[in-house]
Amino acid sequence: MELQQIINQLMTVLQSDSLSDDEFNHYALQLFAYQYTNNLPFRKFCQQKGKTIRTVKSWKDIPAVPINAFKEVALTCTPPEEAERYFMTSGTTQGVKGKHYHPTLQVWNLSMKTYFKQRFMKETEKIRMGILFPTEEEMPNSSLARYLALAKQEFGTEESHYLLGENGIDLERLIQELEHAERSDEPYAILGASFSFVHLFEELAKIGRSFQLPAGSKILDTGGFKNQSKEWELGEFYHELSRVLGVPRKDCINMYGMTELSSQLYDTGNEQVPSIKSGPHWLKTRIIHPLTGKEVAEGERGVIVHCDLANFNSVSTILTEDLGMKVGEGFLLLGRVQGTEAKGCSLAVEEFIKAATEPTR
Amino acid sequence: MRERVGYLPDIGEEIIDTKILTFTRKGEVLEVEAPQLTMEQMQLVTEKVKTASSEVLKNMSITEIISIIDSAIEVLLDRHSTYRKKAEMLLPIVTGYDKEMIRLGLTSFLKKFRKHELQRFVVEDLGNPLLLDGFQPRVKRGYSKAVGPDLILHVWAGNVPALPLWSLISGLLVKSGNIGKVSSAEPLFAGWFAQVLVEVAPQLKDCLAVVWWKGGDEAREKEIFRYADVVVGYGSNTSLESMSRRIPVTTRFLPFGHKVSFGVISNAALDSRKALATAHQAAFDIIQFDQQGCYSPHIFYVQKGGNVTPAEFAQYLAQELESYQKRYPRRTLTLEEMTAAVHWRNQEEVSSFSNPAKQVFGQTDHHWTVVYEEGAAFSPTCSNRTVKVIAFDELEDILPSIQHYRKFLQSAGIAAAPKDLFRWAEKFGNIGVTRITALGKMTSPEAGWHHDGRFNLLDLVQMVDIEHSAEEYAEYFAAYID
Repeated sequence: MELQQIINQLMTVLQSDSLSDDEFNHYALQLFAYQYTNNLPFRKFCQQKGKTIRTVKSWKDIPAVPINAFKEVALTCTPPEEAERYFMTSGTTQGVKGKHYHPTLQVWNLSMKTYFKQRFMKETEKIRMGILFPTEEEMPNSSLARYLALAKQEFGTEESHYLLGENGIDLERLIQELEHAERSDEPYAILGASFSFVHLFEELAKIGRSFQLPAGSKILDTGGFKNQSKEWELGEFYHELSRVLGVPRKDCINMYGMTELSSQLYDTGNEQVPSIKSGPHWLKTRIIHPLTGKEVAEGERGVIVHCDLANFNSVSTILTEDLGMKVGEGFLLLGRVQGTEAKGCSLAVEEFIKAATEPTR
Repeated sequence: MRERVGYLPDIGEEIIDTKILTFTRKGEVLEVEAPQLTMEQMQLVTEKVKTASSEVLKNMSITEIISIIDSAIEVLLDRHSTYRKKAEMLLPIVTGYDKEMIRLGLTSFLKKFRKHELQRFVVEDLGNPLLLDGFQPRVKRGYSKAVGPDLILHVWAGNVPALPLWSLISGLLVKSGNIGKVSSAEPLFAGWFAQVLVEVAPQLKDCLAVVWWKGGDEAREKEIFRYADVVVGYGSNTSLESMSRRIPVTTRFLPFGHKVSFGVISNAALDSRKALATAHQAAFDIIQFDQQGCYSPHIFYVQKGGNVTPAEFAQYLAQELESYQKRYPRRTLTLEEMTAAVHWRNQEEVSSFSNPAKQVFGQTDHHWTVVYEEGAAFSPTCSNRTVKVIAFDELEDILPSIQHYRKFLQSAGIAAAPKDLFRWAEKFGNIGVTRITALGKMTSPEAGWHHDGRFNLLDLVQMVDIEHSAEEYAEYFAAYID
């Protein structure tokens, strides 16, 4: 198939209400054939695993590419230099960042908007937003910056704005906004990286303030909050979020996204943690045993694999470093495998890499 | 099954809290009951151990102490003894290592602490063992004596079973009171050793303690570190660093951080007859305790120009690892470890696409991975039987990439003719390697080795000198003076 055909088809799929299993399988296999043909490193990867167009009979057979591969090779079906945009991964391997090329952002944008509306906005058309993250101009290669910019542009009211300044949170502006929301009774939404909210807690604690945002207000946080001054437990985090801003935990939505994907996943609030996450109908998640690649039983821990049809230019199927457990129609996110700490005195790779980036003596 | 951990001296009628650590392997469940002492109880233990060791151990001769340790080791070497049977049964459950690997590993390890080896231990560090018993004349005139600290506190890691014996026995040899904290990963062996020791020599019953607390318990560590004269710590640099912040400046801290080891194979070891044997030995160093030791190799540098090329050698190594998997299967990895292994492997595969000389052997469901590469950078693998083979022409080509990691280097296993052995040892010594050994022996250091280039006993003791002037001066006050 040609690139334009693939894109056109995808745009239709993204706008449809649902996909049957057979339909999903059909599109996934079609996309696999396209990527196998046009993405050379991916083809080699498949061949190494003994997988070809002939032997891959179901979307579950498509070899899952580890997210690290994005740091090693250009996983793209079109020349990288012709890409409209590329997003860079935050994690690095010995200083190298992974790149995810998008020949057009058309599909990515539609994927984001469609599912953001469904899972975050719901019945609301527009809401006044405050964004706790740098702008797209400041971080042109951040998929999260793009995501938040699009959220603000498409679903934010005119008065929506960024709350981060050069020196972190623009506290004055933030307080103005929160006070305004309290006074006017107009629902307010704050969206940003989870760690920015941790900073927000700290800032508000310093001045001893908390707010009671009006009904209909919502929060969206994403990413982890590791390496902060304090290690936050999930439950503790949402408790504090809800306490400080006066938004019920059911309206505190966590978005689970990755630079390596072109779609996002969400939960339905965080009254209970860990919450159950799920993605749109064009994305399917499997929980597998890392060595055999076979799906594990419901309720058993495994590694999360996503097959995202919107990832048309790179690889549809991604092997994450996240551990999860299938629950009903979604899954629990149980944390990230951080290179796993060595048990004894054998050196952990991470520690070693850290040493390598430090001056020797 | 349930097993109680540790060993406590007599601190009177105290009710000791316990915490249950559960281990499972192939359907077998072992509950390990770890004593959790209160601060007050911990203080009682430290005082008891300090007093008893100064009254008992310090008045024993080094020969007596060596004989006692020897007898205890004999019990543990005896496959019919209750303790040995228990070790062979329970350690595989706790550590996940293969039964046979544990059995052979224990024997080869314990052998190093028999009488003659212990004598070597002492002589290696002190020259004259009697220095531990009394003042000995010095060549420069005067006299010296080696005095061990009153209390040594050991914070052990659990990567390889029985490993705490190195530092615990060193502590006993210098006649110190010893308190060891076992790790949650292997909490058993040190306690058994203490129990055997006391059965063999009841007079030592209050001279040592083996306890447990959750690693990183700041308040507890801060409190207990105050009582110790020396703290010996094992672990990652991060945990050692945080430990060191809790140690008062007057307490000596001997940290043993994570290290990385590698092998170097000269083309002399790669003729058609020797290459297979070389690969066999190299594979053993990899499978033994699944590369969890500081002495475990992560990389083998293989010289070009032999009958068997480095790439062929990598293939040999892969075959050897596969046959070892049948005999000594890899332990069951945690999901996290498996995921890390798969990602490491996949990443190597992917990077081989842009590097035609690179090869990745085996499949994801194999319990090992061998990567062959040319000119690759020095970097540890993710352990658990993953190894890199890197081809080289001359040693000088690989040194620059290794020397950057000076602080982390430990053992180099070398397969080379004597001339190269010494030439290479010289070079490696200069860039921070502290142990050169044969292939097949990497995971089994000799008795009296210099762990990370340091001394086992000398680092623990302090020397007391009687200077010649004092001796001469004393003559002046003698009753027999004319």
